[in-house]
Amino acid sequence: MKPRILVVDDNAVNLKLAGDLLELDGFDVSRAIDAESVRDLIQQVTPDLILMDVALPGMDGLTLTRILKGDDATKMIKIVALTAFAMKGDQEKILAAGCDGYIAKPIDTRKFSDTVKGFL
Amino acid sequence: MGAGMELNAIRRDGTQFPVEISLSPLVTNEGTLVSASIRDITERRKSEKTLSQLASIVEYSDDAIISKDLDGMITSWNRGAEKIFGYTLDEVKGKHISILIPEGLDSEEGMFMRKVQGGEHIDHYESVRTRKDKVKIDVSISLSPLKDRAGNVTGISKIVRDISLQKRAEEKFKGLLESAPDSIVIVNKNGTIELINIQTEKLFGYPRSELLGKSIDILLPDRYKRNHGHNVEGYFSNPKVRSMGKGLELFARKVDGTEFPVEISLSPLRTEYGIWVSAAIRDVTDRKVFEQALFEANRLKSEFLANMSHELRTPLNGIIGFSELLIDKKVGPLNDRQEEYLGDILNSGTHLLRLINDVLDLSKIESGKLELGIETFFARAAIEEVCSVVHSIAEKKRIRIATNITPHMKEVSIDKHKFKQILYNLLSNAIKFTHEGGNVSIEVENTGNEWFSVKVKDTGIGMTVEGMQKLFTPFVQLDSGIARKQDGTGLGLVLTKKFVELHNGSIRVESEVNKGSVFTIQLPVHIAHEMKKNETPNSGR
Repeated sequence: MKPRILVVDDNAVNLKLAGDLLELDGFDVSRAIDAESVRDLIQQVTPDLILMDVALPGMDGLTLTRILKGDDATKMIKIVALTAFAMKGDQEKILAAGCDGYIAKPIDTRKFSDTVKGFL
Repeated sequence: MGAGMELNAIRRDGTQFPVEISLSPLVTNEGTLVSASIRDITERRKSEKTLSQLASIVEYSDDAIISKDLDGMITSWNRGAEKIFGYTLDEVKGKHISILIPEGLDSEEGMFMRKVQGGEHIDHYESVRTRKDKVKIDVSISLSPLKDRAGNVTGISKIVRDISLQKRAEEKFKGLLESAPDSIVIVNKNGTIELINIQTEKLFGYPRSELLGKSIDILLPDRYKRNHGHNVEGYFSNPKVRSMGKGLELFARKVDGTEFPVEISLSPLRTEYGIWVSAAIRDVTDRKVFEQALFEANRLKSEFLANMSHELRTPLNGIIGFSELLIDKKVGPLNDRQEEYLGDILNSGTHLLRLINDVLDLSKIESGKLELGIETFFARAAIEEVCSVVHSIAEKKRIRIATNITPHMKEVSIDKHKFKQILYNLLSNAIKFTHEGGNVSIEVENTGNEWFSVKVKDTGIGMTVEGMQKLFTPFVQLDSGIARKQDGTGLGLVLTKKFVELHNGSIRVESEVNKGSVFTIQLPVHIAHEMKKNETPNSGR
């Protein structure tokens, strides 16, 4: 069974890159552009891992992470933040929100799939 | 023996004493005899001597010592008077004292006369007098009555001192005081204000008359008052030039009660009344506002750079990611041209990313936000990691990298990531500027117990002295045939230097054109934890 990954990014190109890359490497990928569609999607199918862009319009990625990690129905889903690491203290904030890890953007396409596998 | 003749007589013990002998005939039955009346005048001689000494002191005093009768006629005039006023005794004897008094001050004499006749003394009265050559001089005058045996005032003695030089020095001092840009307050040992300048009046809003003679406390906020007397005492126990409350934010208080930030420097002032202290007070309100604005502007700049960096990286994610995906042929085969062009897109993208990262690092350093993450590790391990990264580019140019690390090298506690970045920058530069088949070497040795050095040597194109001077300037890349401009960001060495300096280390370069270059860095073996954070600009001093 292919691991199910939900990629969340409001930037269409980045969403496509991460999603297509994972698909090429044999993951079962679904895509979301904001917190609302993430909650809709996980109602239908529970992913094994969410790749969460931190800066999302509306509810931001870390708030969403806190909600999902605080809910018994969703807290087993691994959440890995995608971050540009621009702001001081980002790292601490990400881990404090309950993320299982983070991957820096721009992503390294040659290592990306392996890195994601490592979190499963 | 002549009337009043003075001679010496001899006692039985041989000592002599002055005598006055008067002889007179004494007619007796036995004829005329001589009667000698002998008077011992030892005491009289003594007092005469004292008088003549006094006269000579008066005569040779530098002060003018003058006496006049009650009509104001000059009766005596010493050499000091001659020197000060230029008249000889003959020229003034019997003349009226008014020859010394400038126009407009005529009434002074009358006033003196009344006071002295009433038995008063006048001490150090400052006025102006005229010399023979009509030049006016500043004088200090002391007067006392001259009395006869019966105690009647018969004249006035007058001591006049020329204080022109002193006055001029005082005027110079006042001139300096008034021309100073800062408020200056001069205070005596008791903390009483003795002298201020006009800037003090302007700054604090008090007229001079309301400050002179008052305690310095009048210029302080209430909360300082309790301790200030103690501080004044402390200062006088070791009076020297220094700034007040170093490192403290000091405030002063205006007449309307408003407080304002000040900087104060203190210096002792030797006066005829003992040591005073002169306090130069500078209003630093504007500077504080400016500092705050600067601090805020710097913060906004850093924030802007961080945001910009984030925004720039987002599209780069797509550019770099998709070109990598294609060039790796994950989605299908490419012809040579396509591969080449995709390689160009990828190179440009990664170059841009490096630039963004370097600029962000630099701005973090400049705003004091870059922190060192101290780790304890073996330098050898870090060097090997970096060597393996640059190995492929060295190999392409058939450049051999030799490492020579002293076996005594112990673990170091510094920022490993920055250390590797330093090494990477130096090594990739060395490789970049070395011809094919050349040599690059790294030498690590202990320099004392606390420090170690890393030398990166190459046999490359080297540089001129002028080139070396430009080396650490942002975005300045030295002209060279070998290195394609796009290979570097122009920030590598700037950052390297900053990283080294963050560790309190130093970087040095030696180079010779066409021979090669040697970059030597000195780093501490352990960096103390309190030094790890580069201090943020303080709103204080």
